Amino acid sequence: MKSLIKSLLFVAACAVLALGVVGCGEKKEEKKAEAPAAAPAAPAGPKTIIFASDAAYPPMQYVNDQKEIVGFEVDVIKAAAEKAGFKAEFKNVAWDGIFAGLAAGKYDAISSSVSITDERKASMDFSDPIMSIEQMLVVGVKEKATDLAGLKGKSIGAQIGTTSYLVIKDVKGFKAIKTYDEVGLAMEDLVKGSIQAVVADSPVAVDYTTKKHADKIKIAATLKSDKVENIGIAVKKGNKEVLDLVNKGLAAIKADGTFDKIKEEHKMK
Amino acid sequence: MNEARTIDVGEGAAIPSRSDWGLFNAWTISITGAVGAILYLYFFQSTPYKRIAHYVADGIIITFQVTIMSILCACCIGLVVGLGRVSKNKAVNLAASTYVEVIRGIPLLVQLFYIYYALGRLLNVHDLTAAVIAMSVCYGAYMGEVFRAGITSIDKGQTEAARSLGFNTKQTMFLVILPQAWHTILPPVGNEFIALLKDTSLVSILAVSDLLRRGREISSESFLYFETYTLVALIYLVITLILSKGVSIMEARLSHYARQ
Repeated sequence: MKSLIKSLLFVAACAVLALGVVGCGEKKEEKKAEAPAAAPAAPAGPKTIIFASDAAYPPMQYVNDQKEIVGFEVDVIKAAAEKAGFKAEFKNVAWDGIFAGLAAGKYDAISSSVSITDERKASMDFSDPIMSIEQMLVVGVKEKATDLAGLKGKSIGAQIGTTSYLVIKDVKGFKAIKTYDEVGLAMEDLVKGSIQAVVADSPVAVDYTTKKHADKIKIAATLKSDKVENIGIAVKKGNKEVLDLVNKGLAAIKADGTFDKIKEEHKMK
Repeated sequence: MNEARTIDVGEGAAIPSRSDWGLFNAWTISITGAVGAILYLYFFQSTPYKRIAHYVADGIIITFQVTIMSILCACCIGLVVGLGRVSKNKAVNLAASTYVEVIRGIPLLVQLFYIYYALGRLLNVHDLTAAVIAMSVCYGAYMGEVFRAGITSIDKGQTEAARSLGFNTKQTMFLVILPQAWHTILPPVGNEFIALLKDTSLVSILAVSDLLRRGREISSESFLYFETYTLVALIYLVITLILSKGVSIMEARLSHYARQ
């Protein structure tokens, strides 16, 4: 009986392997067939730049009811693409690991409200700043504290790997500093009462406290910093081609007022 | 006869064979390799690895906390469910069977989200508690099946003999059947224990600061993805290997007693 099962398994394994080999072979052939057709077409059409975006960050970038990635920064990039003559394609990528994917060449750029920091500059290149943001402290409506010091002994949260997390990372005296995969999950925990405060980028903090949970959470304070925090588009180190295109587009929309129009549409300050 | 009784449930790491104590078996090679790699990285490549190791250290404790609390609760739930599954009482049997069907039909990851974020609106549970509840509810169902299999593996003659000697059903179960079923149940429970430990990595999505979450925190901040995940994987591997050795020793002991 055992040997029968074994031989059956062997046959099954062989079948799987054979299918796999055939499948791979087919794919390769397809690619070969495509390659010569695609090559001459490439210079004619505009260059496509794939932007990775953690689309769980309203109002900067998020997924709407039609499963499209939309938001302020998406509109900015699309307008810039039009001016600079490239095609922008967006890909929803989880924030945690978005930089690893850029380094691995899975996409050309990151458009996900990436703050330009010296640490990040060491491993990637940034476009010219799109806009500046601030870090804001969001708390429950009943909370009286107006700064980090007033929240001693309480739990605080931020999205993993963001500059918001860096602000609270080394502050002593909190009961717990929690990191979330998405800023929305942190806000959810704040509304539930599992944590007492969240630090987030100003556009996001404003969005959550005015739209989704307006009656439950509020902005307690803007956390002052001696450095201006700018957000920009990140590209792989040395990818000048993409960087130049993005910068050209950004400069063009800022010069002719398109940028301000988009800002107004999204009610950004 | 004992061989025929052995049941193998769960997806725990392969348990090293009892008869295989040679130096070159899979277990020895893996543990030497893993421990060697950790020590080498820690002492000779200390620039990034020391920093990572110190950062994730408290995550290991949380991982253990979740594992141990969950396994205790899951064993209790499992025993109740297992007894319910073999119960002659139609209602109890139906309830236990439905529980197993429902829980086994929902992925653990979905259960975690459900308990923490969906039910969290109604009852505000602490993240660690939610993690333990979800893990024990899920593994309770699997454990219940292990218990049921163990109980039904005991020859019917044992029940008949006990009943004819004047034991009531409760006494038969607790004094005759369960003590014998232990031998069959314990090894697969050990397997479930290992599987549960590995699955605790899922609780990091609830922002529980376990080993994986700590690893993700430091990697997303320092961009040392390769280094961090290498170390995290090695730590999980060492813990799992030690546990699997424990299970295999336990299994050997049990079969030793059974033989006597």
